[in-house]
Amino acid sequence: MPARGKIKKTFFEPLGKNNPVFAQILGICSTLAVTNKLENTVIMCMGVLFTTSLSGFTISLIRKLIPSRVRMMAETLIIASFVIIVDIVLRAYVPDIWKQLGPYVGLIITNCIIMGRAEAFALNNPPGLSLVDGIASGLGYSYVLIVIAFFRELLGTGEIWGLPVLGDWWTNWSIMIMPPGAFFMLAIFVWVVKGVLIKESEEAAK
Amino acid sequence: MKKESFFKTRIYPIIFMVVLTLVFISVVSGIYLSTKELVLLNESIFEKKAVLYAAGIDYPEDDTQKIEAVYEERVREVGGEEGRPSYFIVSLPSGETGYVVYTSGAGLWGEIVALFGLKTDMQTLTGVEFVQQNETPGLGARITEDWFKQQFRGKEGPFTMVEEGTADEPDELDAITGATRTSTAVLKIANNVFEVAEAKIKEGN
Repeated sequence: MPARGKIKKTFFEPLGKNNPVFAQILGICSTLAVTNKLENTVIMCMGVLFTTSLSGFTISLIRKLIPSRVRMMAETLIIASFVIIVDIVLRAYVPDIWKQLGPYVGLIITNCIIMGRAEAFALNNPPGLSLVDGIASGLGYSYVLIVIAFFRELLGTGEIWGLPVLGDWWTNWSIMIMPPGAFFMLAIFVWVVKGVLIKESEEAAK
Repeated sequence: MKKESFFKTRIYPIIFMVVLTLVFISVVSGIYLSTKELVLLNESIFEKKAVLYAAGIDYPEDDTQKIEAVYEERVREVGGEEGRPSYFIVSLPSGETGYVVYTSGAGLWGEIVALFGLKTDMQTLTGVEFVQQNETPGLGARITEDWFKQQFRGKEGPFTMVEEGTADEPDELDAITGATRTSTAVLKIANNVFEVAEAKIKEGN
């Protein structure tokens, strides 16, 4: 059993200063693509969370058996299997949302966060800790996407989760729900967060 | 440095990958097979609901068995291949006979596939349901929202498109603001549907 401090550090780093999206700038493709409706974003995040945590756990379980020569093949195979499971389950139980997400569920396979965590963490750490790391990375990814999706849907359609919140006076900023809007929102988010975080670490260094 | 054995560097990785692949394929196939029937059922109900919606026939939203019953009573599938009928003959709520046909056209990002319901005069629409589309969520994808689909009921072609919220003539359709390309695509599909329907029905008889 790893030390409590290590578990805590593993859990909180991906949420804050080592966040996969705004610190490592990974998973940007899906961050841009699926953040124009909150509902789709949340389902997508659940898929990513499921895949990062379980693939990290599984890879870590068999890490001593994986020959280093074929480790990437093995990781891809494991990650792909979990993604296909997500796809099948969504298709069977929430077909309407599955239809809307279309190809993006399959594209979780190519999300660099998952492969990155498998390479950088799961291969060198015990299963329990890898599971924590996977959950934390998934959550770190999710909350950034949800914040971006919240503002994009609100400004772009005047709605949250499909329910109108801004009244008739609001003129929809169509650009927010089109691809360029995602670049603007992501850049603003990274700017704000880094502005705050970098200031703190600079002050700490003094 | 110690030289690693031939087995460890060449043979073991192959055995490892084969075993790993078999294990994961079995798991994934198992899950696939156990949900296969549910997926097929979902698809068949989805199509049946779409046909009923296009014909303007009411159905209970979540009651699978009742949807099946209404469908059995009202709809007759004609021709076609690979499980997708060429067209449907329906008895409309007004007592008249109507047709529902599949038609498709190019949207902004991908193909739009729709089911259109028509009366036998080959001029009046009873409704439309979009069964496949990849338009921009929040803009073009609003074609799947009720206010957009409902406006087709009772409209007579050929159609023209007017600014969102201003259609009041029987041949006018509301476009979607901010989704000009999708609106134009839908207009083109709608204006084409009568020709498509006539061809299919002629072929079917």
